[in-house]
Amino acid sequence: MKKFLAIILALVMVFSLAACGGNGDDTAGGGKDTAGGGKDTSSGGSELAGTYDITIWCPDAAVSLTEAQVKQFNATNTMGITINATVQPVSEADAATNMVNDVSAGGDLYFFAQDQLSRLIQAAALMKLGQGAADYVKNNNVASSLVAAKSGDDFFAYPLTADNGYFMYYDKSVIPEEDIDSLEKLVADCEAAGKNFSYELENAWYTAGFFFAAGCHSDWITDNDGKFISIDDDFNSDKGLIAAKGLQKIVTSKSYVNSSAADFASGSAVVVTGVWNYADIKAQLGDNFGVTDLPSFEVDGQSYHIGSYAGCKLLGVKPQEDAKKGAVVNQLAQYLTGKECSLQRAADPVEGKTPDGTAENGGLGWGPANLEARNDPAGTNPALAALEEQNKYSVSQPNIHGSWWDIAKVIATDIKTSDGSETALKAALQKYEDSIAAVFEMSDEVKNAWTVIGNIGGSNWDVDFEMTAEGDIWTSKDAFEMTTDSEFKVRQGKSWDVNYGANATLNGDNIKPEAAGTYKVQLNAATGEVTLLAQ
Amino acid sequence: MNQTTEKRHMGLKALNRASNTAIYILLILISVIWLIPFIFIVLQSFRVESTYQVGYVIPHQWGLKNYINLWNSDFKRWYLNTFIIALAAAVLTTIIQLCMSYTLSRFRFKMRGPLMRFMLILGMFPGMLTMIILYRVLADLGLTQANAVPGLILVSVASSGMGYYVSKGFFDTIPKSLDEAARVDGATRFQVLYKIILPLAKPIVIYTILTAFMGPWGDYVFARYVAMGTSAGYNVAVGMYSWLSADQIGSWYTTFCAGGVIVAVPVTILFLCLQKYYVEGVTGGAVKG
Amino acid sequence: MMKQYSDLEYLRLSKWQRFCHKLIAFFCAIPHAIASFFINIGKAVKSFFLKVAAEFKDIGLTFVQGDWKTKTSFLVMGFGNLANGQILRGVLFLLFEVVFIVYMIVAGGYWMSMLPSLGKQGPTTEYDPVYDTYKTFYHDNSFKILLYGVLTIFFIVAFIYTWRINVKQCKIIRDIKKRGGKLKSDKDDLRSMVDEQFYKTLLALPLTGILIFTVMPIVFMILVAFTNYDGAHNGYANNLFTWVGLDNFNTMLSWKGGAGGTQSYAATFGEILAWTLMWAFLATFTNYFLGMFVAMMINKKGIHLKKMWRTILVMTIAIPQFISLLYVSKMFARNGLINLALLDWGWIKEPLPFWEDATWARVSVVLINIWIGIPHLMLIATGILMNIPADLYESARIDGANAWQQYIKITLPYMLFITGPYLLTSFTGNMNNFNVIYLLTGGAPTNVAASGAAGSVGHTDLLITWLFKITTGAESQYYLASVVGILVFVVVALISLVVYNVLPSIKNEEDFQ
Repeated sequence: MKKFLAIILALVMVFSLAACGGNGDDTAGGGKDTAGGGKDTSSGGSELAGTYDITIWCPDAAVSLTEAQVKQFNATNTMGITINATVQPVSEADAATNMVNDVSAGGDLYFFAQDQLSRLIQAAALMKLGQGAADYVKNNNVASSLVAAKSGDDFFAYPLTADNGYFMYYDKSVIPEEDIDSLEKLVADCEAAGKNFSYELENAWYTAGFFFAAGCHSDWITDNDGKFISIDDDFNSDKGLIAAKGLQKIVTSKSYVNSSAADFASGSAVVVTGVWNYADIKAQLGDNFGVTDLPSFEVDGQSYHIGSYAGCKLLGVKPQEDAKKGAVVNQLAQYLTGKECSLQRAADPVEGKTPDGTAENGGLGWGPANLEARNDPAGTNPALAALEEQNKYSVSQPNIHGSWWDIAKVIATDIKTSDGSETALKAALQKYEDSIAAVFEMSDEVKNAWTVIGNIGGSNWDVDFEMTAEGDIWTSKDAFEMTTDSEFKVRQGKSWDVNYGANATLNGDNIKPEAAGTYKVQLNAATGEVTLLAQ
Repeated sequence: MNQTTEKRHMGLKALNRASNTAIYILLILISVIWLIPFIFIVLQSFRVESTYQVGYVIPHQWGLKNYINLWNSDFKRWYLNTFIIALAAAVLTTIIQLCMSYTLSRFRFKMRGPLMRFMLILGMFPGMLTMIILYRVLADLGLTQANAVPGLILVSVASSGMGYYVSKGFFDTIPKSLDEAARVDGATRFQVLYKIILPLAKPIVIYTILTAFMGPWGDYVFARYVAMGTSAGYNVAVGMYSWLSADQIGSWYTTFCAGGVIVAVPVTILFLCLQKYYVEGVTGGAVKG
Repeated sequence: MMKQYSDLEYLRLSKWQRFCHKLIAFFCAIPHAIASFFINIGKAVKSFFLKVAAEFKDIGLTFVQGDWKTKTSFLVMGFGNLANGQILRGVLFLLFEVVFIVYMIVAGGYWMSMLPSLGKQGPTTEYDPVYDTYKTFYHDNSFKILLYGVLTIFFIVAFIYTWRINVKQCKIIRDIKKRGGKLKSDKDDLRSMVDEQFYKTLLALPLTGILIFTVMPIVFMILVAFTNYDGAHNGYANNLFTWVGLDNFNTMLSWKGGAGGTQSYAATFGEILAWTLMWAFLATFTNYFLGMFVAMMINKKGIHLKKMWRTILVMTIAIPQFISLLYVSKMFARNGLINLALLDWGWIKEPLPFWEDATWARVSVVLINIWIGIPHLMLIATGILMNIPADLYESARIDGANAWQQYIKITLPYMLFITGPYLLTSFTGNMNNFNVIYLLTGGAPTNVAASGAAGSVGHTDLLITWLFKITTGAESQYYLASVVGILVFVVVALISLVVYNVLPSIKNEEDFQ
């Protein structure tokens, strides 16, 4: 009688298998997004004419506006395209996560923050723009936003806004006008009034501003597949120490709150955040509403204006199996990032705000990336003006590796919990650099450095021994015991791309000592000549 | 002698009264702590002068604006989704768990021991792990996004057999002699279950229905995964959670409170009505599993 | 090594002494247990092969001795049953065979052939000059190959098992006929499904569900730990993933830190494990004793409104946690209601760092967990306390025991005995208590030393929330999450094993009937 159990079990499995994956050979099946429609209705006269089902993911606040804009597109386009759009409220952060989880279930068009670009490219969730589309992006958008939409030389998304930066909102009833340019005075005012100073410094996006203030840089290089090649930064330096001292002034204050939300109603007098909180903050502060660029801090008698990242929101296109549909989605993306739509989004959201948080004019107060829209006076509001002011001190946000955020956000926490001595600050920065080096071994310094590698020093071609430089002359730190069987080479950047072997030749044969002994290795990087210094 | 007993008695009485007073004070304190968050949520759901977090509790202006907002949002859909899931899960989960627990309590067959041990071991794997694969299976069946509701029902019901412990514990307390007597009278196993055991098992049936019904109201992580950004497939937890994200909390905080009230009130009332069975279920089954 | 008690001596010991005795006995028995474990494995392997050999012998005998009907059954399943009038059985066997063969030809063969490589060709893109777009072509899908490969293996095993039963059936039929007995008719079969075989009917559906939606995913995820499945190799849309052997376990269990002094995975894992265990211990026992305390207060004679007190507490069970916990988390935030009120009243000068300081945060989650957990314990304790025979207390009182002594001598041992299994499940449940941590702190505050090795790690992160962070983090390292999941399993299993061997009330399942 066991068979009944067995048979029923097996039968259920068969059916579920048949339902799940019966079409085993049809491996090219592309998920659920059958290119909905694409039938030629010959009425438009264009080869793209037809009706298309397209899913758009955008933040909740932008849903109704985007729906209206798709209707405008249907009414105005001359290609005979009719788009049957489903607009879903998906926040920018969720959009990226969802796309990475399952590309095939994702929206055809989706709004996302630029820091997700490389992750999305790597997950194959973005369609590379064709030549025409790339030219369109290049010609119509502000230069700072182009960096954000690019990996290597290729464009992967349409710049949607160029407003992803931060600046300072303040409560005029607490903060006197003359204090708004000084971090020290702001902190003192908040402490005196028993109010909070909201500044999300335990988030690397905000932390970086202090380092930019002190003149540090942080550059990243990516290839065309969204992979990171290297980072080049100098946060762990004398300049970085100045930034750390500035950070210390605020994170150790009793008024400091690690937040970038619209906190005025819950006890804050200053909030550092971006345009997305403009409407809420305006509603909270009313007549006491104040907004301006970030303040300066003072270290050793010198004043440093706090910098920021200037970033973008992007509009991404999901890779399509149907080229025609792909072209249509690109057309829609170009329309949505064009002048008209950009201005509609930029309209001041505070005017005529309805109870559910959306403005009657549909405006979101998003600063356009589109050049024409930027030059239009309708495309601004007080918050965007403050952002524009802050942009003088900002750095265009490049593609940043996801791990960097986790590593760099620890700096402020470290400073806050340290004893505050200069040694402790230096240790915090050193730790940051060590962590970075663990993930990306290719800082500029490392990339240019020469190392010795071979079957020496107890290793077998698997350890790079450091060398120190004096001009072009590099000398190994350690001395190695060598026999006549020992072999080694010197190479640059811990890779075999550039290496010297015997007779000062690039990619030459392994170098062997003529006699056994203990040697240091010396390289003349200008000539490639390697000499052994007997110890 | 008599007097001292009397005195001790009096002393005991006084002591008793003192301890009772202390207990009352403690209980009142505890009640306040336990109720405060809920009272606050209710109060804030009626605040209309602002929509964000504030430093006071009692609204300056009272009104139903947040509830109207709720009505105008997708909340209706989410609520309906959750309700359907909860209802279906309550019915199906109960059937499955009863089958499972009754069998394991009453039958002695060769694979019983290994089976129970195997399920015990299975239960030690963190369920979080299987989320990705379950999502893919549902996606292949077309039960994600807008169709998330049947998908969530399927997953929660299919693996519910694992949670048989509580009701098995309860069945174990029903004397086996009852079954045997009926069997002697010629009843089949099915009749024994249907006519004798089930009526006795009313508390555990209600307990199972109740817990199965309450579960889906708080299901967040997996439900969010399955809905994959499609509002039509959200349940209340997924939908409302998004209102507390940094860029929305300013406009939606009080609406969140209103939603919380709408979700919590029916579930709480139901729960309180059936509390008796819940207690019986927990004490009768949970501790003896 | 340890004192051996006779039965009588043992019975004279107090509960506590018995517990200690068992505990010591357990640890003393470990070397022996390990030895016998391996011996048993040896025995099991031996008996397995013997059994297999016996099966083959039986199959061979059935074939040799069988008539032509039996021999046909070897190829056409169910033929023996059909030929002997057992239509229902026969048809089911036959149907199963047909479905199996069709499935293997249509799909199963493909999945099995791809399983060793997990796919040969990843997706490609091609520029389409007409439309000026990049077109994507998807090819193999490692994820599906692994998933359906596993399912197909399940299916093949089921088929072999069914085929074996089919063969056995022929033998049974022959034996019955030889004895001159009557074969079971279809009607008998159907009837027995609701009678002596009723348990099979009852278990069929639940077990199928568990097989497909619990066992199969777990097998799958265990296999993932041996692949490089992550965000950069998602198996379909960008890159295929493939088998990497034990690499992931090496990474996770290696004490070697990353270059530049970052903490190793093993150290991070150890740190989180330590907190997880501490949390589980605190969460379980604070709830246990405080819940019991509250129950005793409410149950005390002379306390009125018992039902009301209980109802108030029970509300936390009824209200979905995502509402109550999220709300409470906001209440305790730096700029939350509690801090603002305390500041307003002048009780504190600066906000209390509930979620910002490691110790504060840990204490806070434990305290708030009490808020969540006491009601449940209160209910359980109430039920049990009422069951303690009143005369026990009565005689204790006559012996002059005070309240505390009564508690220690009667209430506590009774509770511990009855709730032993519950304590264990609630301990392991707390180890995996995702909701409380995720909704309250999300793991915050950041653990500076541990972050970097595997993304951001917080001081209140449990292994389960860490696992979640790994899968949803920037790199989506599913393979690493699988490794962590397996390790969580190992830890839970070890703890359970120890406790099971010590607790008296679990083993004697039948005692309660």
